[in-house]
Amino acid sequence: MDKRDADSVKQAIGCPMSRRKFFRCLAAAGALAAMPGGLLRPFDAKAGKIIYEGDYEIYRNACPRNCYDTCSIKSYVKDGVLQFIEGAQASTFTDGGLCVKGYAYTRRPYSPDRIKYPMIQDGRGSGNWRRISWDEAMDMIAKKLVEINDKDDSMLGLGLTKYSGNFGITNYAVEGMMTSLGYTTRLVGTPCWPAGIDAQNYDLGDMWCNDPEDMVNSRYIILWGANPAWNSVHTMKYIYAAQDRGAKVVCIDPVFTQTAAKADVYWQVDTSMDGALALGMAKHILDKGLFDKAWVDANSVGFDEFADYLRNEISVQWAAEKSGIPRQQIVEVAEEFATAKPATIWIGYGLQRHVNGGATVRSIDALAAMTGNVGKTGGGARYGHMRTWGFNYHALLQKRPEGAKGFLGGKGPKGDFDFSGDEEAEYTDRALNINKTAEMLLTADDPPIRVLWISCKNVLSQDFDRPKMLEAFKKPELIVSVEQFFTQTVELSDIVLPVTTLFEEHTINASYWHYWLSVNEQAIKPMYEAKSNTEIAAALSARMNKLKPGSCTFPTKVDTRQWMIKEFNQDIYDLFGIDSWEDLKKGPAKAKMHPASWHDLEFGTPSKKYEFRSDLCAQHGHQALPKFKAARKPYDKLRLLTPHTKFGIHSQFINIDWMEDFNKKPYCYLHPLAARERGIGDGDQVRVFNKVGEVELEVKLTQNVPADVVMMYEAWFRNNAYNCQNVVDDTSSDMGKYKTGAPGVAIHDQFADVEKV
Amino acid sequence: MKKQLAFYIDAKRCIGCFTCAMACKNQYHQESGVIWRDVYELKEEIYPHRERAFYSLACNHCENPTCLNVCPVVAYYKREADGVVVHEQEKCIGCGNCIRSCPYGAPRYNPVLKRAEKCSFCWQRLDDDRKPACVLSCPTDALQIVDLAEFDEANAVQYPAGFPRYPSLNPSVRFRLPAMPKMIRRKL
Amino acid sequence: MSQMELPLVIFTVLSQTAVGLVAISAIRQHAADGPAGSVRPEWMTAALLLIAGLVASLFHLGHPLGAPLAIKHLGRAWLSREALGIGVFTALVIVGFLTARGRVNAGLSFAAAAVGLIALFFTGMTYSPPGFPALNNVLPFVFFLLTAAMVGAGFAAYFTPAEKMPMITRILAVSLIVGLVVYLVVPFLWLSGGTVMRQTGLNYISSPLYWARIIVGLVVPLMAIWRMRTVAAWVPVLVLAGEIMGRIAFFLLAVHASANMGGIY
Repeated sequence: MDKRDADSVKQAIGCPMSRRKFFRCLAAAGALAAMPGGLLRPFDAKAGKIIYEGDYEIYRNACPRNCYDTCSIKSYVKDGVLQFIEGAQASTFTDGGLCVKGYAYTRRPYSPDRIKYPMIQDGRGSGNWRRISWDEAMDMIAKKLVEINDKDDSMLGLGLTKYSGNFGITNYAVEGMMTSLGYTTRLVGTPCWPAGIDAQNYDLGDMWCNDPEDMVNSRYIILWGANPAWNSVHTMKYIYAAQDRGAKVVCIDPVFTQTAAKADVYWQVDTSMDGALALGMAKHILDKGLFDKAWVDANSVGFDEFADYLRNEISVQWAAEKSGIPRQQIVEVAEEFATAKPATIWIGYGLQRHVNGGATVRSIDALAAMTGNVGKTGGGARYGHMRTWGFNYHALLQKRPEGAKGFLGGKGPKGDFDFSGDEEAEYTDRALNINKTAEMLLTADDPPIRVLWISCKNVLSQDFDRPKMLEAFKKPELIVSVEQFFTQTVELSDIVLPVTTLFEEHTINASYWHYWLSVNEQAIKPMYEAKSNTEIAAALSARMNKLKPGSCTFPTKVDTRQWMIKEFNQDIYDLFGIDSWEDLKKGPAKAKMHPASWHDLEFGTPSKKYEFRSDLCAQHGHQALPKFKAARKPYDKLRLLTPHTKFGIHSQFINIDWMEDFNKKPYCYLHPLAARERGIGDGDQVRVFNKVGEVELEVKLTQNVPADVVMMYEAWFRNNAYNCQNVVDDTSSDMGKYKTGAPGVAIHDQFADVEKV
Repeated sequence: MKKQLAFYIDAKRCIGCFTCAMACKNQYHQESGVIWRDVYELKEEIYPHRERAFYSLACNHCENPTCLNVCPVVAYYKREADGVVVHEQEKCIGCGNCIRSCPYGAPRYNPVLKRAEKCSFCWQRLDDDRKPACVLSCPTDALQIVDLAEFDEANAVQYPAGFPRYPSLNPSVRFRLPAMPKMIRRKL
Repeated sequence: MSQMELPLVIFTVLSQTAVGLVAISAIRQHAADGPAGSVRPEWMTAALLLIAGLVASLFHLGHPLGAPLAIKHLGRAWLSREALGIGVFTALVIVGFLTARGRVNAGLSFAAAAVGLIALFFTGMTYSPPGFPALNNVLPFVFFLLTAAMVGAGFAAYFTPAEKMPMITRILAVSLIVGLVVYLVVPFLWLSGGTVMRQTGLNYISSPLYWARIIVGLVVPLMAIWRMRTVAAWVPVLVLAGEIMGRIAFFLLAVHASANMGGIY
C-alpha cells in the first residue's frame, strides 16, 4: 500500500498522519486496501475541491545537485508527508518548473530502496549487511580513528573523498568534521571543470560568467561543447527568446545533441579539435580587421603576439582540416560572430575534458575578447561563476585539535569549492588527486589511507578506471559511506550511514550559473534514522571525545537550523537586497549584480587586463599564448564519449523507480556505417571494450554520432552492473592544478571498439 | 464556440526533457508503469534525427470522447464549463473498454486499484486557478494550455505526422511542428 | 501485440456458440419437416454455455461485483447494449429450456434467435473500437457471426436427428468455407492498410497460432465433412478449439493505434 492509499485511509479512519503514525496506519488499514483512489484523484466532481495554498503546508527547498540550474522548489506537505512539489514561480530562472529529475524528488525520500539505518557489511562486497545503531556505528568508527592516530601519530591515515553529491552549503560540515579531527588526507581537485577554470583565470583572472538571463540580449550565441537542452533546461528559454528576436544560434559539438537540434546551425566538430576551430575563426577575424581594436588596446595585453601567432601559424584551411568544418562555414560564422553586437559563447564542460582542454578554452576566450564581447550584457565567454557563494562557511571552518600533526609542505587549493582559505600553517592536510583516486588509494603511503570516508560522491560509479578502483578498494582498513541508496560504492564499503535528502535538512543553495539564492527548509522529518552531515559530524565528535577527550573539536550538539542561519552574513544580505534570511521563506532572491561579468573591466589577472599572453600560464608549465595544443592520440578504433543523460545527475535519480518508467536501461549509440562494418544491427547486444575494461549493453544506431565515435551515458541503474567507467581511464587534462588543486581528467579522450555479443 | 481547454504542444520548443511526464507523476503518484503523460519520440521517418523531436501527450479531452461513449457504467463525464473529460474512478468497474477504445492510449489500467485512470487536466488545480502540473512544469513553455474557442496560432495543426487522425473524436490538441538546423557534418 | 483477454475469449466464443446453436435449433425445429431433435438438452447446453460465458466475463472485470451496473449506459455504450442483449437472450434461452416439450414454442424459438443475433451485433460493435484500426470496422461482427454459425452448427449436430443431419452438415460446411475464405483473406487485406493495420496483418501471418487455427478449426473439419459426408462427433470439438484459438489471436495479435505514436500512420 502506498502513500496515496494512505491518504484515503486517513480520510476513512481519521488518522492524523505524523511520520510515526503514518506507518502504524499503513498496517491498520490493510483491510481498507480496496478503497478507491486517494485525495488527489479526481474521483468526485462535487467534493474533492482543493485549496492548494490552504490545504497544504508550504516549504521552500532548493535542488542541491551539481547542475547549472539549482532550482528553487516549493514543497507541499500534508500530515508530515511530502505530497508534491513545484518549481518556484518567484524565481524568473526556475519559472515554475523543475526537470524530470527534480520532480522525482517527491518519491525519493520515500523510495523503498532508501537506506534506513546505519548498517555494517560483514565482509566487504559480501552483501551480508546487518543493522547497527548509530551509537555502535560511531563507536566502531571512533575507535578506528583513535587507533590510526596512535599508530601514525597523525590523522593522515583518514582520507576524505567528497564532491558534488550535495551542494547545500551546510554540507561542508563534512570537510569541517575532517578538519576538526586533525590533519587528514583529502582527495582534492574536481573531475568536472578544472581545466576551463584555470584557463579563465589565466585569461580574465577569475571564472565569472554573465547572468544567463541576459542571453535574451545576445545577437549571436555559440553553444560550444555544451548541451543545455539536457543539462540546463531552464536556460533554453533565454536562448529561444534571443532566437525569436533574430539572434543566430550556432551549436558546435561532436555529437548532434538535443541542443543542436534547436540551433540554427549545427557544426559536427571533430572531438577535441575545438581549439583549432577557434583559432581558425580568430585568424579570419584578424585578417578581415573585424576585431575590436579599441577594446583590445584598452583592456588587454599580448594581443600583438597573439596576432603574430595567428598570422604565422594558423590558417582557416588548416582549421578546416583539423576540425572537419568546411572553410566557407568557418569564414561565415567568424564574420557573423565578430560583427554581431553583442555576441556570446557558452563554453561547455565537456569541451575541456581533454588533454588539451585548458588550451582550448583559452582560445575560445580569446575569440570573445578580441571581438570586444567581454564585459557586455548579452556577451561574454560564459563558463560559470562563484560570485554568489560568499557565505560564512561556518560548518566548514573548524579548528584542528590541539597538538595535531599533519603533512609537511603541502599548499594550494583543495578543490574548486574550497572556501577554507587555509593559511600556510606548518602542517597541512595531505592533498591527493581526486581524479586519480584509484591510483592514490593504491600508492599512498606513510601512512596509507587506512580509513576512507565517502560523502556526496559515488566513487565506484563515477571515478575513472573502475577495474583499478576495484583493486584500490581492497586496501583501506575501514570504508565508511554516507549515502541514501545502496550504490556501487556502498556495496564495497564496510559501514553505511543513512543521510538526509534535501527535504529533511536545513541548508542554503546558490548556483554557479544563475544569480539566485534559495533557502532550503526542512519540510519533513528525516525518514527512518537518517541524519544530516552536520548531525553525523556532531555524533562522531561526541563519540571521539568520549574515547579520547580533545580528539575532535566539532561541536557535539548542533541545531542544524541555527547552523544554516549562521552561514548568512551582511554581505550576502546586501548582495541579495534582503533584510534577513527569513525573507527567503517567501521565495528565492536574486543578486543585485550587474548582468555582465567584467563590466568594470577590472580583470583579476596580474596585469589587471585580459591576458592574451599570460606569463603565469607559462610559469605553470603551459603556453603563454592560447596556442593550439595537440589532442590525445587514439589508442583504439573508435572515440568513446561518455556524456550526461537527461534522466540523471551523474549516478543520482536513474535508480529511482519513478524514473524507470521513462528510462529503463542503458544504451550505446553507434553510427550505421560503423555498425555495418562490425555486423551489428539496431537493438543488438554489444560489448564496448578497450585496454581498461569492457561494458555490455544494447546498441541504438543513429547518425547523431559521427562514424568514428561510440557514445554511452554515465549512469547508475539499480540491479544493473552497467558502468561506463569500466572503459574510461584517468588520464589528466592539461590544466586544473592552479585553481582547483589537481588537473582534470580527459574524460572524452577515450577510445574503444565495439563488437556484437 | 464553447470553451474547450486543450493542450498546445509546441514541438519546436520541446526538448523532450520529460519534465512534464514526471511533474504528473509527482502530482498523482501513479503506480509503476501507469503513465498518464508520456513523451513520444518522433520516428526517423518523420524527423530524421533519432530521439531529437517529441510529442508530449496525455489525454486529449476530445470533443466526442470515445472513452465516455463506450463506458458501460457512465464513469466519465465532460465538463460543461471547459470541456475537460473527467473519469470518476470510484464508479469504474475495470472493464477495460475505454482503454481498448481510445486510439491515443490515454486511459491506463491501474493494476492495484483494478480500475482505469487517465489525465484529468488537473481539474482540481484548474478550479483553484492554477495551471495543470505538466504545463506549469515545462521549462521551455513548450506545453501550454489553450482555449480552442480563442486559440489563434496560425501555424498550428491538429494532426501532425505521428499523431493518429480521428476527426470523429476531435481531440482537443494543437501542435507546432519541430524544426531542423542547417547541418554541417564532417566528411568521413 | 495486446493482451490475450482469456475471459473475453471464453465469453465471446461460448455466447456466440449459444446464439448459433439457438438460431440453428429454431430453424431445424420449425423450418424443416421431420423430428425436432433433442431440444431440451440442446437448449440447456445453450443456457449453460451462456452462463459459463457470463461467469468467465466477470473475471475480466477489475470489480466483478459491479457487473450488473454495466447496463447503465444504453444511450451510447455498445457494451451496455450487449450486456442487456445477452442478458435478455439468456433469459429467453432458459425459458425456452424450461418450457420445451419436445420442441420449444416457435415464437419463443425465433424470438430467442432474433434477440441472440441482435446481441451478437451489439457484441460486434463493442469489439470494433477506434483503438484497434484493423478491427474498427465490420470485421468483428463478421468473425462473431462465423463463430455462431460454425460452432453453433457443430454443436447442433449433437442434438440433430439423423433425418436432418444433411441439413446441419450443409450449414456447417458452408460456414466453414466462408470462414476459411474470410480468415485467409483478411490478414492479407490488412497488409495494404496503414502502419498499425499492416502490423496487425503481419502479426497474423507470422503467427503459428493463426495458422494452427486455420488448419485445426477450418481445414481439418472441412476435409472430414467432405470425406464422411456427415459431422463426426470429434469435428465440432476441433471447430470449437479453432474458434478459441482464433479468438485468442483476435485479441492478442491486434495492434493498438497508440502503439505507433510518433510514427507514420
